[in-house]
Amino acid sequence: MKTKVDRRKEVEDRLAQVMDPELDESLIELGFIDEIRIDGRRVTVSFKLPTYWCSPNFAFLMASDIRDRIRELDWVDEVSVRLKDHLYADAINDGVSKNRSFAETFPEFSSGELNQLRKTFRDKAFLARQDRLIRYLLKRGMTKTAILNFTIQDLQELSGDYPALKNHIESYLSIRRECLGTGEAHDTAFVKKDGRRIALQEFADYLKETQRTRVSMEFNAIHCRGLFQTRYHKEEE
Amino acid sequence: MYRTESGEEIFVIDSHVHYWDGSPENQENIHGKQFIDCFYDYHRNLSPEDYVWPKDKFEKYDSQTMAHDLFVKGYVDMAIFQPTYLSEFYKNGFNTTEQNAELAKLYPDRFIVNGAFDPRDGERGLAYLEQLSETYGIKGVKLYTAEWKGSSKGYKLSDPMTYKYLEKCCELGIQNIHVHKGPTITPLNRDAFDVADVDEAASAFPELNFIVEHVGLPRLEDFCWIATQEPNVYGGLAVAMPFVHARPRYFATIISELLYWLDEDRILFASDYAIWEPKWLIEKFMAFELPEDIQEETGITLTLDIKKKILGENAARLYGIDIDSQKEKLKADAGLKGAS
Repeated sequence: MKTKVDRRKEVEDRLAQVMDPELDESLIELGFIDEIRIDGRRVTVSFKLPTYWCSPNFAFLMASDIRDRIRELDWVDEVSVRLKDHLYADAINDGVSKNRSFAETFPEFSSGELNQLRKTFRDKAFLARQDRLIRYLLKRGMTKTAILNFTIQDLQELSGDYPALKNHIESYLSIRRECLGTGEAHDTAFVKKDGRRIALQEFADYLKETQRTRVSMEFNAIHCRGLFQTRYHKEEE
Repeated sequence: MYRTESGEEIFVIDSHVHYWDGSPENQENIHGKQFIDCFYDYHRNLSPEDYVWPKDKFEKYDSQTMAHDLFVKGYVDMAIFQPTYLSEFYKNGFNTTEQNAELAKLYPDRFIVNGAFDPRDGERGLAYLEQLSETYGIKGVKLYTAEWKGSSKGYKLSDPMTYKYLEKCCELGIQNIHVHKGPTITPLNRDAFDVADVDEAASAFPELNFIVEHVGLPRLEDFCWIATQEPNVYGGLAVAMPFVHARPRYFATIISELLYWLDEDRILFASDYAIWEPKWLIEKFMAFELPEDIQEETGITLTLDIKKKILGENAARLYGIDIDSQKEKLKADAGLKGAS
C-alpha cells in the first residue's frame, strides 16, 4: 500500500484534471476544492462554488468528473463527492454517489444528458487556448504565415526553445487532441475547431472570433474567482 | 448631470435600477435569503471600500436614500426601474412595478417605470400587461427568463406564448424589451445563459428593441455575435460597469469588444443600483481611458462623444426622451427636497 502522502498526491493530481467547464480552469487552481479525506481505500472530496445559484448542470459535470477521475486510481474502492452550500447540493450529491446520470437525477427539469453542453464548452475552451497561444507567438514577432504553417511537431519543438511558452503549447495541444484526435506530427497545428485549415486571408477575422471567446471566458473566470473569494474569505482578509 | 472639467454637461440616464425589499421579514424561504446574500456578495466584491453598505441597509433601503444616491450625489438625471418580482422567494415580491411606481410618484420626471411579464401566466398575464400599460404608460418590460413559477424553472423568448406577449407589446407601444439571462437556477441539460432565443425573437420582432442586460455576461461572446446580426439588439452595462474600478484592464477589453462588434449607439450605462452606486461608477468611467496597446490593437477609441452616448443619449433615444427639454424640466425640479 502506498503512503498516505503518496495517495494524497495522486488524488490531487487527478483533481487537477477536473475542470470548471465554463472557465476552463481546474477546480484546484480555482480553489473550489474544500476538503480531501482519505480513509484507507475510501476517498471523500468536498467542493464549493462561487454562488448558491451556480448552474446545476455545470455543478453536476464537475461532481461526476471528480468521482470518475478518482475512481481511476487502482487503490480506491469508494469515492464520495460532497458539493456544499448549493441550491441542488443534496440532489447532485445523491445522484453522483448512486451513479445516476444527470437526466436520472433531475427527471423533471432536464430533457437529456450533458454531452452536448460539455462539447459546446470544450469547443469554447479550444478557441480560447488557441487564441492565447497564437497571440503569444505574434507578440514574439512570428508572422501569420509562419504560424499557420506550423505543424504539431514544430510546436513541440518550439516548446523546448521557449520555456515561457511551454504551458500554453501543452495546454493547446492537449485540447487539440481532445477535440480532434491525436493527429500526426506533420499535421497543421492551428486549425478550426472542426479540423479545417485557416486561410491566410481570413486569419484576422478568425482571430477576432477567437479573441471574443477568450475574453468572455477570462472575464467569467475573474468574476467567479472574485465572488468565491467574497463568499468564503471576505472576513479573513 | 455630470460636468466635465471644461464645464460640458453630460445628461445621464441610469438604465437599470431597483427599489427592492430583500429583508428577512419579506423572505418567503431560504431562496429569498440566498438571493439577497448573493447580490450582497456582488456588491462587496466589486465596490470600492468606501461604498460598501452594511448588510441590513443593503437588504432594504428607503426612498430618500435611493433618490439621494442617484440624483443628488450620483449625477443621474433619470433612472429606469427594472422590476424583478421573484414572487416565489419574497412574500410581497422583491422589486415590483407597483413598488417602483410609488417612488416614481414622489419624484416625477426622474423615473421611468418599466413593467414585467411572464408568458407562463397565459391570458391572465396578457390582461395584466394591458393594465400596466394603462396605469403607468410603460414603454418597456424587464424579463427574467430564469424565474421560477410553480414547477417551471424558466422559459425562453422564442416560446410560442412569449411571442403572444411580444405581439401585445407591439400593440401597446411597449418597445423596449430588457432581457435578463442569469443567474440561472434551471437544472437544464442546456446552457440556461444561452442568448440564442434573443436572436430568434429579435428577428421576429424588428419593431421592438431587445436590451440584453449584463451585455450577455457570462456569454459575452455569443451576445456580441447576435448583436452583429440583429440591429435591434442592445447591451446594458449592468455588472460589467463596476469592473472599471476593480479590474480596469478587463473593463477595457470588454468595452472595446462591445464597440467593435456592436457600435457606440447600442450600449447603455447602468448601475444596477443598489448593487452598485452610480456616483463612483460614473466618476471612474469618465476618468477612464483605454490603454494604448488595446487602442492600437483594436483601433477602438473611447471618446467623450462615445461616453455621452453610453451614459445617456442612447437610452434617451430608446425611451423617446428629448434631452434638452428634459433638462429644462429638471432645472425647475423641486421634487428632490426630501432627498438632499
